[in-house]
Amino acid sequence: MKNFQFLFAAWMAVWAVFFIYQVSVSTRISRLRDEIDRLKQPLREN
Amino acid sequence: MSTARAAAILLEKELRLEFRTRELLNATIVFALVVVVLFSFSFDPTSAESRRIGPGLLWIAFLFSGSLMLHPSFGREQANQTLDALRMAPISPFALLLGKMLANFLFLSAAEIVLIPVFAVLYNVSVLAVAGRFAVVLILGTLGLCATGTVLSVIAAHARMRELLLPLLLLPILTPLLIAAVEATASLLAPQPGLERGWLALLAGFDIVFLTASWLLSDFLLEE
Amino acid sequence: MKARIPLTVLAAGLMSVAGYAALFIAPDERTMHEIQRIFYFHLGCWSAMFTALTITFVANIGWLLTRRPQWDWLSVSGAEVGVASCTAGLITGVLWGKPAWGIWWTWDARLTTCFVLWLLYVSYLILRGLIEDPGRRATLSAVFGIFAFLDAPLVYVSNRLWRTQHPAPVLLGGANSGLDPTMGRVLMISVSAMLTMMLIVLADRYRLERLRHELDELRVAGETRPGELVSALAKAPRN
Repeated sequence: MKNFQFLFAAWMAVWAVFFIYQVSVSTRISRLRDEIDRLKQPLREN
Repeated sequence: MSTARAAAILLEKELRLEFRTRELLNATIVFALVVVVLFSFSFDPTSAESRRIGPGLLWIAFLFSGSLMLHPSFGREQANQTLDALRMAPISPFALLLGKMLANFLFLSAAEIVLIPVFAVLYNVSVLAVAGRFAVVLILGTLGLCATGTVLSVIAAHARMRELLLPLLLLPILTPLLIAAVEATASLLAPQPGLERGWLALLAGFDIVFLTASWLLSDFLLEE
Repeated sequence: MKARIPLTVLAAGLMSVAGYAALFIAPDERTMHEIQRIFYFHLGCWSAMFTALTITFVANIGWLLTRRPQWDWLSVSGAEVGVASCTAGLITGVLWGKPAWGIWWTWDARLTTCFVLWLLYVSYLILRGLIEDPGRRATLSAVFGIFAFLDAPLVYVSNRLWRTQHPAPVLLGGANSGLDPTMGRVLMISVSAMLTMMLIVLADRYRLERLRHELDELRVAGETRPGELVSALAKAPRN
């Protein structure tokens, strides 16, 4: 296949962009979740 | 009070304020001159190459000096806290915006009038032959620049890093205006002067779209 | 959100099917052969970006008219996902241009509009980052967002008009005119796959914004009185 490396690079680039973005969103979500749980903790102990 | 009348009064205030010191006008003109001269050092002004690039450089000079001039114009209101007083006046928010837009338009036009002869000399182009059509292009282009620039200067004024933010917001928005103005100017200054109606339509269309949007969104723009 | 895992599997599945279809099922193109297959991903990115930014535009108007924070959460989610899709679109455009035409970049209407939109919405996100007050941030960024969206068709038209005077190789013109039916079907699969992926990521981003809002409310309540904190917790959603 001629120019296959460009085609593959394009395919990988599309995957990578969305994958990296999705990972960054998920990390931020879990960090926020932890923060919220931390804030709720003192109340559960009361 | 009608919007037009309120805008006219505000415009008169702006003009009177500016002509007392002329600081904004002087700085704008000098900066635009610096840009044009600096560019002409980078390219040999007598060659055909630079004649091709000339119109682009002219409009970039207007764009840069215009966007730098817009911030102080609104910043002055904030610094002196006259903005709250204006907000409380019984005028529509769009009148406030319109007054500012027209003031900016006149200041930038004044700078352009000074700059164009300098440009014509440095780049060896004849502007007088196409003066009428060139004026139309200039007016439509400057109007679009000042309309969008004034709105964006209000937005940027509420943020940090406003001096950097305003050009950052403004210049991408002005892309169609820049393309149309440069192409129209280039075709007017070419050996066989001509003016494509499409470019004029695009410039006029840009102005209409953004003036209408500004009018519709003016309440939100200037709220507390 | 319980539906997350099956939806993610669906998106991954669709993308794999689309990838396979683009690489092996779609017929070979006459002039560009293999490299033309990027077209399926490139157009997918373009549709995802356009949809995401339209969502942002609608959400901007929604905020200005109703002042409900949900619209603001939707705006920022759409803008971020739109920028991501735009980035992917620009990368695929460049990777197509080089082998097909020997140049990394060409100022054709679609690529130019893509690039300017990228600049506009990155500026939108930067603007949001620079305004502290949430209400003001939402309102002012909504106004800019509306301006940015209105600008896009003007950029496209100005570029097309410019192209009539400075003609150059057209990247996609050939492919759009009279599409082979199999190519058409593969294109539909690719576009649906990318749209699904984009919507899933957007939903997650929206969830992030909602959680952030919840956190801010908790913080504010915690600083006032414990009784209010309890009632704030009672109101907070379970997941």
